[in-house]
Amino acid sequence: MTLIKKTEELNLANKELALQNQEKEKRAAELMIANKELAFQNEEKEKRAAELIIANKELVFQNTEKEKRAAELILANKELAFQNSQKEKRAQELIIANQELIFQNNEKENRAAELIIAKDELISQNQEKERRAAELITAISDLKASKEQIIEINKELESFSYSVSHDLRAPLRAINGYTKKLKENFETQLDPEAHRLMNNIVANAKKMGQLIDDLLTFSRIGRRDLVKVNIPMLSIVKEICTELENEQSGRKIAFHLDTLLPALADNMAIKQVWLNLVSNAVKYTRLKEKAIIEISSEENGDQIIYCIKDNGAGFDMRYADKLFGVFQRLHSDDEFEGNGVGLALVHSIISKHGGRVWAEAKVNEGATFFFTLNKS
Amino acid sequence: MTTEVEILLAEDNASDAEMTIDALKKNGLANKLLHVKDGAAALDFLFAEGEYAGRSIENKPKIILLDLKMPKVNGIEVLQKIRADERTKNIPVVILTSSKEDPDIKKCYDLKVNSYVVKPVEFDEFQKAISSLGLYWMIVNQQPR
Repeated sequence: MTLIKKTEELNLANKELALQNQEKEKRAAELMIANKELAFQNEEKEKRAAELIIANKELVFQNTEKEKRAAELILANKELAFQNSQKEKRAQELIIANQELIFQNNEKENRAAELIIAKDELISQNQEKERRAAELITAISDLKASKEQIIEINKELESFSYSVSHDLRAPLRAINGYTKKLKENFETQLDPEAHRLMNNIVANAKKMGQLIDDLLTFSRIGRRDLVKVNIPMLSIVKEICTELENEQSGRKIAFHLDTLLPALADNMAIKQVWLNLVSNAVKYTRLKEKAIIEISSEENGDQIIYCIKDNGAGFDMRYADKLFGVFQRLHSDDEFEGNGVGLALVHSIISKHGGRVWAEAKVNEGATFFFTLNKS
Repeated sequence: MTTEVEILLAEDNASDAEMTIDALKKNGLANKLLHVKDGAAALDFLFAEGEYAGRSIENKPKIILLDLKMPKVNGIEVLQKIRADERTKNIPVVILTSSKEDPDIKKCYDLKVNSYVVKPVEFDEFQKAISSLGLYWMIVNQQPR
């Protein structure tokens, strides 16, 4: 027994060992498979590691790229921040400019409103002007018509003057002439009263002739165009005074003539003015024992004021406005003869020269006449 | 009586004519005076027409006294015709007018009037004026032959 047991035991052990071997072979096969698996896994892992290295390299590259980009971004960011602050400043400025524009806009609107008002005003002014222009046109055509009328009237007046002078003088001449002939041819047959009456007829006819002549002078001078020349006033006045003095026999007349300044005027017309004024002075001093007539002149701007002063009858200043009217007289014909044309003529002539004539007087203390003419 | 006329007076106003003739008579100048009452008659006489046909034009007056304002033909027209005709142009013509207002004074002188006299209203002056102009033209003045 021991051997068999031992053999059995050995068999058993063998079997165990075979099983174990088998087990071990199975295990080895498994290990080989596992090994293969591991090798594969290892390979895989190496592959993976290589891949990772590549990936890592890629990542490093990407990282540096990103760092570069980040640096660039920081720069860009700084730039943007700068630009932003610039924009903010600009925005501030724009806000201010905007406010300014708003203010200007308001101003413009105000101005526009004002302009609208002004425009309305202009339109109304324009309408007013148009209305006024229309009125003026009417007035001008009225004036033209009036002017034509005046020319027509002037023509009529001229032919009237001609008629008056021609046709009124002829019968006067006849009245005068026949009365004189009556007196001459029937002198012995007529008594003194008849002679007195006939003398009155003759005197009146003569007076009427004078009146006609004076009136004609008046109307002629009114129509005549003035020819203005430099007038040596002193010599003209001297001549007139001498002439008038010679006509007055037996009267004491003292003429005091200043150095008379020359003037620019119509010679004939101004002679007529002096003739009328000096003969008035001579006439109205008739009742004085000694007549004093003073004639002088003085400068007044661009005019000369002439002055003739007498110590004669003078006149009442209350009626001074009538002094220069045609046919207006401040004395009766019995006191001082006259027809009321002389001073009207003076007034007409001086006015036509653009001058002024006026007088100052006191009853019985003389009169002073003034007139102005333009300096030469 | 000779028909020779020395003074031709053309005057429509009878009074003026009478006064003029009177003044000339006083000086013995009116013997050979012919008074016509308008310009037409004056021209008839001067040119021997109408009433005066057959008269010799060569018998010229020594002086023509011409009123300006006359019916039919006025003084200016008479003067014009006298001066325009060779046969009459040298006859002295004196215009007698009532008015110094006459717008025709210049026209008359343009037509070579010899004298232009405004008749004075006053009788004595009128007579004086007519006498002196009559004496001057009839006696003092020498006519062309």
